[in-house]
Amino acid sequence: MSVNVGFIGLGIMGKPMALNLIKGGYPLWVYGRRVESMAPLAAAGARVCASPEEAARAADITFIMVSDTREVEQVILGPNGVLAGARPGAAVVVMSTVSPEFARTLADKLSAQGIEMLDAPVSGGEPEAASGALTIMAGGKPEVFERVKPILETLGKNIVHVGPGGTGQLAKACNQIVVTLALEGVAEAFAFARKNGVNPLRVRDALLGGFAGSTVLEVQGKRMLERDFRPGFKARLHQEELRLILETAHRVGFALPGSALAAQHMNALGGSGEGELDSSALVQVIERLNESK
Amino acid sequence: MLPNVGFIGLGVMGRPMALNLIKGGYRLRVYGRRKEAMAPLVEAGAVACGSPEEAARECDVIFTMVTTTRDVQEVVLGERGVIAGARPGAIVIDMGTISPTATRAIAARLAEAGIEALDAPVSGGGIGAISGTLSIMVGGKPEIFERVRPLFACMGKKIVHVGPNGAGQVAKACNQVVMLATLQGLAEAFTFARKTGLDSQRVYESLSGGAAQCRILEVLGKRMVERNYAPGIEARLHYKDIQIVLDEAHTLGMALPGTALVTQMFNALIGRGGGNEDSSQLVEVVEAMSKPLQ
Repeated sequence: MSVNVGFIGLGIMGKPMALNLIKGGYPLWVYGRRVESMAPLAAAGARVCASPEEAARAADITFIMVSDTREVEQVILGPNGVLAGARPGAAVVVMSTVSPEFARTLADKLSAQGIEMLDAPVSGGEPEAASGALTIMAGGKPEVFERVKPILETLGKNIVHVGPGGTGQLAKACNQIVVTLALEGVAEAFAFARKNGVNPLRVRDALLGGFAGSTVLEVQGKRMLERDFRPGFKARLHQEELRLILETAHRVGFALPGSALAAQHMNALGGSGEGELDSSALVQVIERLNESK
Repeated sequence: MLPNVGFIGLGVMGRPMALNLIKGGYRLRVYGRRKEAMAPLVEAGAVACGSPEEAARECDVIFTMVTTTRDVQEVVLGERGVIAGARPGAIVIDMGTISPTATRAIAARLAEAGIEALDAPVSGGGIGAISGTLSIMVGGKPEIFERVRPLFACMGKKIVHVGPNGAGQVAKACNQVVMLATLQGLAEAFTFARKTGLDSQRVYESLSGGAAQCRILEVLGKRMVERNYAPGIEARLHYKDIQIVLDEAHTLGMALPGTALVTQMFNALIGRGGGNEDSSQLVEVVEAMSKPLQ
């Protein structure tokens, strides 16, 4: 029996993910806030909906891939939201990055209406979304995870069930801590090399083979060298994710000194009018910090 | 004739401040969430009220001294709040440390009701409140500030009009940035001294004469030396203030790297259960980083 799938949020990440679901043979109902964002999906065979409610009504499983907590709240709990359309027994998979606490609260609200939820944030950018090679970290009941897993396999390669509701988001927070500090490290290293008259391109080549080799060095490092800051992952979203992580740290009373410092650099990037750039533009903050008089 | 004064919030800071106003000759209407908080004020001649609304009624000037942004919103704008009792032309002065953004919004709401507002957060702690030597940083219209200056003079020594509504809170945020970074410096210095076998009392004395001499060293540095963490200033209150600063930094898009780091040290301090003790125990957190887990 085929599973009907809803997909809400057709931005940089959502669009290629939804296309992969169509390629995987799933009948798809889509909703995007901007009408024009739905056109390429319609062309590929998806049915266009006028609201999240409408998409959820048709679907056994509805995926959410919008930018932030406020939007997730709106498309699920707001007027004409998923909650209004989804039937008992349906599942909602939140792939946006939100706080673990918010994910748990949301799961409770949906569960009260007999709707299952999985929090399943992703790691990887647009290229991974397009090639179906995302990393997916899921939190929720094991049986719900098993039910959704075949669909997730059309979106990602490394798919891990981390634990109960909210734990997918906590794993994503850990992922972001590592990525952020790697980004900070690469930015500092390249700015340092350049200031000292060393070609950072060569430095990157050398580093890729050793202990400092990483996806961040490879992908974001390349952007830094080419000054290609078209997003990618926008700095203002990175800033917002760090705020969520630091909020959790504040709430539980846990020190994340490195992340806190990087968050300040991300603040400076946003305040310099560079929030819409790829977050690898962080290197410019380090450069400005070290500008000559 | 002296203005009638309302005072809401009678905690560690509010109680001595209200008492100093009574000493200054002002007639006070007071409200505190806990009934027993009002007893010492009543004994000194104040009228106890059943709500912020009641305390504000017939008053020319109403002070609030409660803990969080949400507390201020509640006692000023909430049901049975100051706004329900205060008459047009009255002046509401918030002396707590809260968000500058929220402060501006509260002032705007009061203005719609014809009520004037000042933000006037203080520095100086419980000791300064008792001795009437607080530093008071004021935001609001200059002519309103001038009208209430004599009341401020009962509670503080250094009284500065910083700018329009919210400016007092921004100045207080700056005060906290300096204070907490200094505190971190002291915690590191004493850890360093002890690690190399020095007597921290001697180090304390030697620093007291030089360029590192400051009030934080004098008061909180001493507590670090004595490992006496009875508050003083409860760490959870600094923890609240510092979060206000970082929220503003996030909104404005501004890097405050030092403050961010100290905040994380405070996270650890709260996490180890020290929220109700003095902030000077930051030195224990710094020390713990360089010694093996028990």
